[in-house]
Amino acid sequence: MWTSLSTIASLASVASAARFMLHVPATPLVNPSILPSTTHATLQSSGPPQDAYITRSNSFNFNNVSVGSYLATVHCRDFAFEPLRIDVTLEEAVEGSGEKKEVVKAWQTFVGNEWENKGENRGQGGNGLVIEVRPLGLKAFYQERTGFSPLSFLKNPMILMALVSMGLIFGMPYIMENMDPEMKAEFEEMQKKGVTGSSTTDTAKQIQNFDLAGWMAGQTDTSSRGHSPAPQSKKK
Amino acid sequence: MRLHAALSLAACLAPVLAVFEDDAHHIDFHHALLGLPKHEATFFSKPYAASKASLLYTVSQNGTIGAVNPKDGALVWRSPLGPSSAAHLRFGEEQDVIIGGVGNRIVAFSASDGRIVWETNLKVDGSAVQDLEILEQEDGITNPEAKDAIILVDGAEQGVKRVDGKTGRVKWTLEETSGDIPFQISTSPTTIYYISLHSPLLGGGSKLRVSSLSPITGKKIDSYQLSSEAEIHTKDNILFAGANTATPLLAWTDKAHKVLKVNIIGTKGISTFNTPISEPVEKIVLHAPNRLNSLAHFLVEYQTATGHSAEVFHVDLKRNTISKAYSLPQLKGKGTFATSTANANVYFTRITTDEVTVVSSVSHGIIGRWTLKGSSALAGAYPVHAVSEVVVKDNSASAARSAVLFSNGQWALVRNSDIAWSRPEFLSTTTSAVWAELPEEETLAHELEVEGHQNVVAAYVHRVNRHIKDLEHFPAWLQNLPTRILGNLVGTTGDSTIDDIQHDTFGFHKLVVLATEGGHLAALDVGAKGKIVWSIDLHQFAPEASFSSPSLKAFRGFVEIKDPSLTSPLLINSTSGSQIVDRDLTSSSPVTLKDQKLITFDLVDGELKGFLGPEPSAEVAWTFTAPPGEKIASYTARPAKDPVASIGKVLGDRRVLYKYLNPNLVLVTALAESAHKVSIYLLDSASGQLLHTVAHYGVDTSRPIPSTFSENWFSYSFTIDASSSGAARGYQLVVSELYESPLPDDRGPLGASSNSSTVQPSEVRGEATKPHVLSQSYQIPEEISHMTVTQTRQGITSRELIVTLPASNSIVGIPRQVIDPRRPIGREPTTQEQSEGLGKYVPMILFDPKWHLNHVYEVIGIRGVITSESGVESTSLVFAYGSDLFGTRVAPSFAFDVLGKGFNKIQMTLTVAALFVGVLFVAPLVSYLFENITEEDILADKQLQVQRKQINTLWTT
Repeated sequence: MWTSLSTIASLASVASAARFMLHVPATPLVNPSILPSTTHATLQSSGPPQDAYITRSNSFNFNNVSVGSYLATVHCRDFAFEPLRIDVTLEEAVEGSGEKKEVVKAWQTFVGNEWENKGENRGQGGNGLVIEVRPLGLKAFYQERTGFSPLSFLKNPMILMALVSMGLIFGMPYIMENMDPEMKAEFEEMQKKGVTGSSTTDTAKQIQNFDLAGWMAGQTDTSSRGHSPAPQSKKK
Repeated sequence: MRLHAALSLAACLAPVLAVFEDDAHHIDFHHALLGLPKHEATFFSKPYAASKASLLYTVSQNGTIGAVNPKDGALVWRSPLGPSSAAHLRFGEEQDVIIGGVGNRIVAFSASDGRIVWETNLKVDGSAVQDLEILEQEDGITNPEAKDAIILVDGAEQGVKRVDGKTGRVKWTLEETSGDIPFQISTSPTTIYYISLHSPLLGGGSKLRVSSLSPITGKKIDSYQLSSEAEIHTKDNILFAGANTATPLLAWTDKAHKVLKVNIIGTKGISTFNTPISEPVEKIVLHAPNRLNSLAHFLVEYQTATGHSAEVFHVDLKRNTISKAYSLPQLKGKGTFATSTANANVYFTRITTDEVTVVSSVSHGIIGRWTLKGSSALAGAYPVHAVSEVVVKDNSASAARSAVLFSNGQWALVRNSDIAWSRPEFLSTTTSAVWAELPEEETLAHELEVEGHQNVVAAYVHRVNRHIKDLEHFPAWLQNLPTRILGNLVGTTGDSTIDDIQHDTFGFHKLVVLATEGGHLAALDVGAKGKIVWSIDLHQFAPEASFSSPSLKAFRGFVEIKDPSLTSPLLINSTSGSQIVDRDLTSSSPVTLKDQKLITFDLVDGELKGFLGPEPSAEVAWTFTAPPGEKIASYTARPAKDPVASIGKVLGDRRVLYKYLNPNLVLVTALAESAHKVSIYLLDSASGQLLHTVAHYGVDTSRPIPSTFSENWFSYSFTIDASSSGAARGYQLVVSELYESPLPDDRGPLGASSNSSTVQPSEVRGEATKPHVLSQSYQIPEEISHMTVTQTRQGITSRELIVTLPASNSIVGIPRQVIDPRRPIGREPTTQEQSEGLGKYVPMILFDPKWHLNHVYEVIGIRGVITSESGVESTSLVFAYGSDLFGTRVAPSFAFDVLGKGFNKIQMTLTVAALFVGVLFVAPLVSYLFENITEEDILADKQLQVQRKQINTLWTT
């Protein structure tokens, strides 16, 4: 069955051959006139593929394409292009006239999918059809070196924590010295009462006894400072 | 969209192992070659009329048209039109198009970038372009837009055609039916001359027939014959049929090169000159300017066995006579001449092995002379042909540059007295390449071998002696140390990769020995950007042989060259390129085959046969014949040097799948053309038994089916035929893995037995001893022409499948994880599978640009890729050969044992310095703390110690 079909196809190919053109349009992604001269398109069906190199007008000319179903691929050094399925058939221009003409149809196709799984139609017509081929994207060959940068080093949370505690250790005595005498006195008093020296269980209790409702109601900062020693005294 | 998804998926699957941008062009090299340039189709020309600089255009002997920048020898563009005996290239004055004719194709290229302007193919099969000329003027008027081309067709169809310079359409055709042999065409401002050879039926010499044609209609206006039958027997006797001069010339000589006959085309007079030299002339070359407005002067070069000389002739346009003007003295040795024009003046440049001289065509006074500086690439070579450009000011040549083809196949540009660049064009026909060990390594390996075979004391003494001997390199090493350290720190002083071979600590410098179709042999250092270490012409060892496809085999210290035209293989020292005559000296085992193989196999008359012994002999051990209707196409064996680090594959749950590691595995590819079927047979080469077979239908059997084998897995690829009933179209890649058993932690039926026979693997225990084969196939977007696998020293590094993609001119390394046949199908991988690095199976593999080893290089015409281990485990060396040469190194599991360029030595030094400064700061703080410790503290401390001691004694007693 297949052999008979192919012989028919080959007979038809002797009789006629289609001519069409793949064209690379100018898109924001790619200026087709910068594509290297080695850019070429292949039409694969059986045997060696037909090959066409890019012309000065950014197109690939295919002449003498016999009847068949072809996988069209554009090979370029810098850009990846989508593959196309191009079918060349012989159809009667007017039904019953007996005069057959080549018809070229093009669709998107997908690697790893069934051949019948066609995508968007990319053109249909007789001889001289212009089919647009679209680049998918720039080929990025190189790997970037993940070099050492001080900024990324600083972004590490552990380093940040260490830096903050460092700042506290070294900065605290300096701040204490520069405090005005009144504040200093107050602070020393607090220290005597053991606020700063309180154990962790105390702070835990403080959190437990936190007056959420009061805080939500928007009690001012000053009042809270005034209240802070209170739980301590309660405990005692 | 789906494609994008697949792309991203593929990217997720494998760790991206691309070339680093700062490594590219440093660790790799690419010789983009054209092939040996043809003399008559090589010229300097401006790519467009307004251009300031000119390019060097050529068509090579293998049919590649290309443009080279004369400044640095870099390739601007090239287009391989395919091999053909006749290739032509012409450039119209003040045009931006260059027209080439190769085989049956006539192509016009944009001269500046190599894009196709138009292309015309000769309709009749079997006809080829015999000559090509540009019609510069028509009726004395220059057409400034697009100049038409006149082509001469020979072969199945014979005739002259005029091709439109804008579209490539044929304007008219003059068919040649007289039976004459078309020879050449020549144009003058008013007529086209068509020159053919008219041979009489009864043998003897040929007459030259010159027909003048009308450029407009192509009709024959006039025709006359020149009586040349005494001299001309073949086309080779004709020296010159002048191109676009105002006076086109036709010159020929007799067989003995005794007489020179010149005719001005369009007239019937023949001027006869006798060769001036008494000794036999080997070759006569006529050099004439091809510009329209240049003086009608030409130079005739006489080459003899010992020297060369020349005579300059002037043509009198009014009287149509030719007279000798002056002669240039005979010089010993070989040399060549080149013609160049400036306005109407004609200059001749004479290039010999040691000198460049320029003379004007008017008088014999030398107006420019330069002594050539020697170059290692051109040592011992003489110029074969040249084209040149001369700058003349006040009757003296101020500068001259010539593109010269030298006899050793180097195409070089001689600028005044310097060799500006040289291109190793002879390597463009490389047929075979092998890795050779470097001398240093070899001697060390040899010494170690000596030590291994001695007793302990003798070996120790030998070793000490070796180290003392090594000390002589110490002062030099010490001297170089400061510069090396400085260079390392700064990191910019030159290319750290192009070290001397002696400083090769990483083993990246390896020699590749190449053999070309023309019988050249060369050795390249892959680690030093493909520098040619030595190159020789094999004809000096085998003068009568005509090499067609020499093949190489590497042995320790030498390579063996085999060719159909050689009666016995040639042995060449791989470090110096000298011939090894005595076979006994070299009877050591080959480098690649450490163990003597007892059974060898070869394809004999379509059957794969195994022989007993190291060479194919009469003793046939087994024969493998493909089933009826199938033909064995190729076979692939496991590489002889294929180290395996682990005999099993550890699964995610810490269980082990044992690999089927048989050193004697052979993969046979057989084709059934009518059934569009390819069959893959896995054989055991020791027993000849069939272990596994698989068949694929709907395969295009006319396309290459490459395969490779490594460790316990093999892969192959094929093209799906359009006539197949298969669901998908395109190209497929199949990967199969062999395991001892389908079950983890199981070694199969042979696991328990202490010994087994490789000669009868499956007969003793039945089918169960055959390997368990896991296969997966993928759709790939491109055809693969060749595949191989990376090699590393121990085999610990994961492998990479290296495939050659001829359509996109690239070489791609596919990571092993991507093509693992154990990828789960139809479901997401479990965490255990994920920990093995397995991703979900997708039916296609799209070649990630990051896998491209060649990145921006375009490697054309690759015939094979060879890989080799380097000195470090992480890295494998890769070398591709064919019409282009490409070398690089890959690290499939990252360069874990080498510091890359990402390692900043200055930063490290700075960090250490900063830490030191920090210590300096902290030290006073600590001593301050110590000073504050009071005597009481010390006392308390002592008491504590005493207490502790007491407790200790209590415990111990």
